[in-house]
Amino acid sequence: MANVKKVAIVVAEGTFDKAMMSLMIANTAASMGMEVHIFHTFFGLKLVTKNANPKAPGMYRLFTGMFKKKMKAVGVEDYAANKKMAIELGVNMYACGTSMGVMNVKAEDLDPGVKILGAAAFLNIAAETDMQYFIG
Amino acid sequence: MQKDASLDAKGLMCPMPIVKLAKKIKEMQVGQVLELIADDPGAKEDVPAWCQRTQNELVETKQEGSVFYFYIKKKV
Repeated sequence: MANVKKVAIVVAEGTFDKAMMSLMIANTAASMGMEVHIFHTFFGLKLVTKNANPKAPGMYRLFTGMFKKKMKAVGVEDYAANKKMAIELGVNMYACGTSMGVMNVKAEDLDPGVKILGAAAFLNIAAETDMQYFIG
Repeated sequence: MQKDASLDAKGLMCPMPIVKLAKKIKEMQVGQVLELIADDPGAKEDVPAWCQRTQNELVETKQEGSVFYFYIKKKV
């Protein structure tokens, strides 16, 4: 396609709802032929670590299993499956280097293919995008 | 409506019909027509939007009760 639209997403929370929202937008955008870049920072960082298993926020944490079941019933798989799909669709995933230091996450804890960036490098990417979303 | 393939996305909700549609179209040849069956109420707007964005042609849409039938010709 001549004019590929680009999307930048910042994910700053690591709860189930925020995690799913970011990937549902990302996977839809990628399915529409768009180029997608997701920057994971603060509590969003743990979403791109191996075996990430986000829970619903606050007291809803206890109902995470129910949410998952309901989403599966309408064909939406769990976070891990969505993340795998995102990678297959060519979504670019980034981890915030500063958050890694603060949250004690090592490069080897990250999912394969996740690139470590600082704010300047991400902003440089975002500056060339057509749409920017903040999920936090 | 003549079709070359059919994709049943009934029971699936956003974004799955679109994700599956994109995957299926990728496997098809330019000029072929895909029938997409969906009952996600959002599909009524989502499928035309996907076609517009990806420059594929929505040849025909029909609705039977709460089920939509979309006929999409692969253009690119």
